Amino acid sequence: MSTEPLDEVPWQRLDTRVVWVDSAKTVLSMVPAGVAIAFFDAEISWGTMGPILVATGVGVLGGLADLLRWVKTRYRITDEYVERRTGLLVRQHRSIRRDRIRSVDTSAKFRHRLTGLRVITVGAGQHSAAGEAALTLDAVRVETAQRLRQELLPGGPAERSAEPEVVAEAAPVPRDEQVFARLERSWVVYNMFSFWAFLMAAGLLWGTYWALQLFGLDPAGFVRGLADWDAIGTASTVVVAVATVGVIGVVGLAINFFTENWRFVLARVPGDRGTVLRTTQGLFKTREVNRDDNRLRGVQIDEPLLWRWMGMADTTVISTGLSIWSLTPSAQILPRGPVSVARRVAARVLETGQSPLDRSLRPHPRRALRRRVGWALIATAIVTGLLAWLTTLIDAMPDGVWLAGLGLLPITLALAVVAYRSLGHTVADGYLVTRSGAWSRSTAALQSRAVVGVTFRQSLLQRRLGLATVQVTTAAGYGAYEAIDVDSAEAVDLADRAVPGLLTAFRSTAPAAAPAADPAPVEAQARP
Amino acid sequence: MAEQPIALRPPEHRVERRAVGLWALQSALGFGILAGLLAGAYLIFDSARSWLGPILLVGAIWGAVVTLVMPLWRYAVHRWEVTEDAVYAVTGWVVREWRVAPISRIQTVDTIRGPLEQALKLATLEVTTASSRGPIKVPGMDARVAAQVAAELARITQRTPGDAT
Repeated sequence: MSTEPLDEVPWQRLDTRVVWVDSAKTVLSMVPAGVAIAFFDAEISWGTMGPILVATGVGVLGGLADLLRWVKTRYRITDEYVERRTGLLVRQHRSIRRDRIRSVDTSAKFRHRLTGLRVITVGAGQHSAAGEAALTLDAVRVETAQRLRQELLPGGPAERSAEPEVVAEAAPVPRDEQVFARLERSWVVYNMFSFWAFLMAAGLLWGTYWALQLFGLDPAGFVRGLADWDAIGTASTVVVAVATVGVIGVVGLAINFFTENWRFVLARVPGDRGTVLRTTQGLFKTREVNRDDNRLRGVQIDEPLLWRWMGMADTTVISTGLSIWSLTPSAQILPRGPVSVARRVAARVLETGQSPLDRSLRPHPRRALRRRVGWALIATAIVTGLLAWLTTLIDAMPDGVWLAGLGLLPITLALAVVAYRSLGHTVADGYLVTRSGAWSRSTAALQSRAVVGVTFRQSLLQRRLGLATVQVTTAAGYGAYEAIDVDSAEAVDLADRAVPGLLTAFRSTAPAAAPAADPAPVEAQARP
Repeated sequence: MAEQPIALRPPEHRVERRAVGLWALQSALGFGILAGLLAGAYLIFDSARSWLGPILLVGAIWGAVVTLVMPLWRYAVHRWEVTEDAVYAVTGWVVREWRVAPISRIQTVDTIRGPLEQALKLATLEVTTASSRGPIKVPGMDARVAAQVAAELARITQRTPGDAT
């Protein structure tokens, strides 16, 4: 890259309001300690005040660090780059080429919304699937944020508009925004019941208990006084406790769902360069994510096994440069909800005649089930063997424990059948659709033109069974999508249909069933 | 059921014969260190001998078998080929991998030489695409050939513009 003198573009600071927010944060973090001392005569000793002092210290230090960050951070946008300098001890200079920018997200915590600030996250780089951090500006004014987004995402000056993909996708640009989905209240049902309910409730209760105790109250005594626990009995007490915690957790998750997804809208919004897929959501902390449609490579739907009876599904887009490993992945385009909605939205997002995700998939040979049953038997045998071995080593363990290992067999066998039944694949409309998974059945539709390589894998056992795994690698999403255990005689045909032309030169000389694809379209297909 | 490999012809070139030595050395070193640590623990901790013993025995037998069988098996499998349109490599032993990447999607080409490889004048060719699932690796190539191929690939890939995603 040429390092021309770009100094004519001035460096800018983050918004000055950040300073006020930080000062307020620092002061606020001192409040609990102050209140405890002033109004509740809390004894100032390490034992009682320790935790609260630590919390205060962390708060104050955090506020100060934030101030320093404001002082030391500069950013600028040149014709070619977005640049940011930050850091006190370790000077960091990050620059992102503007034509590599894949997403510009704005988000706001409650304090940002009060003060009219927004945090901007610029996503770019092929390796962000591997967890590379993007460039974050925390924080700028709402107007600045909007201007930056307009400037960076829809119509940068140096665009590769000569490429066929852009032309092809820019054609059906809608006149105004198309809304694909809005929050429906009934979706809360899909988000209320989860193992996390118990964890969340436990955290909440522990926090409340601790806080109340700090102010000289006695929550344990209060609970003890609610009922005659001795008369109820230990077993019932445990049941009551678990039920209470469960209910609190479920309510908590429901509230959490609504605050996070309040006024959720998924829409395709036009820009100067193609369109973006935009989600907006949130009550206190609002979040808006824009996904460049030129980076869209497919859609994936995951259906967790335990909730498949109620049709629960997670919907994500397969796109280059979007994070998939974070807790709130920007690849996720719908809150967890019914699979019917997921399929409908997927069809509209992909804009194909019939959604590739709705196509009937080709089942894999029955021999694939044998392989899975084999795993089930081996897993059970290993657990049983380990338990048996441990009982000989550890005297305290009862002799019959290894039988529990055998008890796993029905479960592992059932999982083997489930895993086999979820296997499937097809190639249609320029999409490769693959489905697999036991605990969570995931169906992914990936555009053929997004494929950057093909891998066939075959273990000795797969070879004996006449099976092979076909994997296509890509820059988007998880980096690779695979059709596991297809008939090995069809493996190359499948890959050839998914990526026409690539394998032609390497096919074995045995007479191919289909006429060899003309290599000419490869050039057109290969470049996105 | 008859053994059924997939319907691709093997790539044109074998890896160097010296690679057998490299893999044997690597395996012997790796298992040697592991066995050494385990044996050390076995000698020091009396109380742990009852369960360390079987692990040590199984590990030693496994290591010996792998060191003897794996290098030759790999040599029989590993092959590579570079054409004007694609890079094609077959690797593995128990689990075999056929990998094809179009030249137009290649991002970087590296040759990597570890200490053992340097001693044997070998190199690993590493071809990276935009996928986060790892590069195509061709271990056990002659160092000079690998450098030549890398330079050639770099030349070809430069002709295709764009970010190869």
